[in-house]
Amino acid sequence: MDLTDIGASIRIALTYFTILYLTGLGGLFSERSGIVNIGLEGLMVIGTVTGAAGAAIFAGPAPEGMGLGAGGVIFGLLFGALCGALFASVHAVATINFRVDHIVSGVVINLVAIGLARFLSFVFFEQATQSDPGGPHLPRLDIPGLSDIPWGLGNAFQNLSPVVLFAAVLVFPVTFALYRTRWGLRLRSAGENPEATRSLGVAVAPLQWQGVLLSGALAGMSGAFLAVEVVFNWREGQTLGLGFIALAALILSNWDPRRLLVVAFLFGFAQAIPLRLDDAPLISLLPPQFINMIPYVVTIVAIAGFVAKVRPPAAAGRAYEGAGGT
Amino acid sequence: MSTGDATLPAPRALPPWLESAVAQGLALLAAFAIAVGVGSLIITLYGENPLTVYSAMLSFAFKDITSIGTVLSIATPLIFAALAVSVCFKGGLFNIGVEGQFLVGMVTASWAALTFDFLPGLLHLVAVLLFACLGGMVYAAVPGVLKVTTGAHEVVTTIMMNGIAVSIVAYALNGPLKFTEAPPGQNVDLRTDIFEPSALVPDLGHLFGMGGSAHLSWLFPIAIVASAIVWFLFRRMRLGYEARVVGSSAGSARAGGIAIGGVQIKLFLISGALAGMIGMQQVLGERGALVQNYEAQLGFTGIAVAFLGQNNPIGIVFAAVLWAILSRGETALQLGTNLPREFVIILQGILIFSVVVVYQIAKRRLARRELQRAGAEVGLRDTATPEDEAPREA
Repeated sequence: MDLTDIGASIRIALTYFTILYLTGLGGLFSERSGIVNIGLEGLMVIGTVTGAAGAAIFAGPAPEGMGLGAGGVIFGLLFGALCGALFASVHAVATINFRVDHIVSGVVINLVAIGLARFLSFVFFEQATQSDPGGPHLPRLDIPGLSDIPWGLGNAFQNLSPVVLFAAVLVFPVTFALYRTRWGLRLRSAGENPEATRSLGVAVAPLQWQGVLLSGALAGMSGAFLAVEVVFNWREGQTLGLGFIALAALILSNWDPRRLLVVAFLFGFAQAIPLRLDDAPLISLLPPQFINMIPYVVTIVAIAGFVAKVRPPAAAGRAYEGAGGT
Repeated sequence: MSTGDATLPAPRALPPWLESAVAQGLALLAAFAIAVGVGSLIITLYGENPLTVYSAMLSFAFKDITSIGTVLSIATPLIFAALAVSVCFKGGLFNIGVEGQFLVGMVTASWAALTFDFLPGLLHLVAVLLFACLGGMVYAAVPGVLKVTTGAHEVVTTIMMNGIAVSIVAYALNGPLKFTEAPPGQNVDLRTDIFEPSALVPDLGHLFGMGGSAHLSWLFPIAIVASAIVWFLFRRMRLGYEARVVGSSAGSARAGGIAIGGVQIKLFLISGALAGMIGMQQVLGERGALVQNYEAQLGFTGIAVAFLGQNNPIGIVFAAVLWAILSRGETALQLGTNLPREFVIILQGILIFSVVVVYQIAKRRLARRELQRAGAEVGLRDTATPEDEAPREA
């Protein structure tokens, strides 16, 4: 192991950071509005298959695709986000309008997503578990300045997907929207005390719908990024539980978009250990199957160690009776 | 709907348990109708006739005694899985980790099958099954203890434990439990050595004239017994009462002097023991070894079956059989229609969603009626729930 390996693992960590941060932000909007969303994994799954399909349709070569190039790939990612939001509306209907237990609905979202993804894959690609490899993707970019760091560390910031940069920059508008706008204040108050929000004449249900739809869009885009920009095709099971790790990162961040930025990167780095640092001191003594466990063990230890120190939105997971419906 | 009294019939004098049972039955029928309806829509969009498709699925499941046996053997692990989920659910705990507990149970059972091969006859099998339960229990204890001591939410920890369990199986098959003599052929899949026959669960199907392909074993009656035990445990024993209190209100549990953490850990242990049994159908009833391409996802399917059976041990048995009929329908679709077999998974998904939503509606209507009846008894005209008072939005 040398510094080049560390540079490479930072690069992998940045890729995982993007997935975890986008999905985590999705969960943040939903939970800040009071709707617990453990269906993030399922929303990501839908994002992977529809994102790959969107990229193939908009950016694929002429006969089947429209051949729109890089712009087409962006349309593909947005298509994944749109489908994620559409699928999330099922969770919104169930939890907000019918007041189904949030965890029950989230579990069902995850269960249904696997089957739905297969079905969609069959419709889009005429095969159930993957699309053709080597799909269209965005041109890579080097981050100026950082990519020139010597000793091999610079390669951490070379050849990155532009979406990585997009995800990292997202912290500014999200923080602003959440803490500096009227909408953000109302969204947060819906998640803390919906009755008080209501008594001030603010409708709670639309805010919660917006929160859940945003979570679907962001998780869908995260899945689309994974399929289109990282793997270059759709494969069944490629999300590997990252939606749940994003959920864990969200808890550790205390539902704060700025802290989530740091936690998502640290969790991303844990993901990189089995891939790049398997010959590091101490780690190399473990059998390979045990090295694969590291990201999960890190998540459990982190959750168990820090969960007492965080405070979730007070009304998250609770059915709000004034939200309309039956 | 919240125009209140006008739409609701006057409270009747049906005993509450009967009213609740009727409501549950009606809710299940409604959910089923919705799923069949939406399914028909998809089938029609695909250019097939819904009637043909549904009847093909049904008649395939019941075409002969062997096919019925296959349905029951598919249902066997699902019963254990759904029971495992439901036990925790009764205490308000979401054991998403049934999947991981079942994988670990397969590993410990395989170890026991290979290690205790000197035990005579039935003792060998009993030892194997014990270790299956034990493996599941130990693995379920981890999130249980973490929940009680640190407050780490079991949904997150059990999901992570599932990820770890996949690696544990891989490690076992590559290391300690790897076959000692490689099977003939070039690209052999990893597996353990073939178990002694005394470790296997005897076949049940041949007693009823089923073909060997049904793989119906004595595990099916054992699963039925397990659901009866769970029913007894939660209806007639103290733990069941305590679990219900803990699940519905932690505050009342504390006030009632119930040790919440103790109850939660007990539930996780029972759940883990049941989860350990899930893999036995494939390991001891079909393959006679732990193989690399084992059938996974059974723990997750158990969550769906538990919802479908409304966490009722008897309901779960029927839900598992229904699920198995649908799953078997995949083959029928492939043989008889142009519909992709993935349609079945969609149908199962729609079914689960409509069940969850319709039950929720039924539960709320029952609760509202109960409130009205109580109000009528004390002479109040109307005791509205908060939702009736709140102005409608959106």
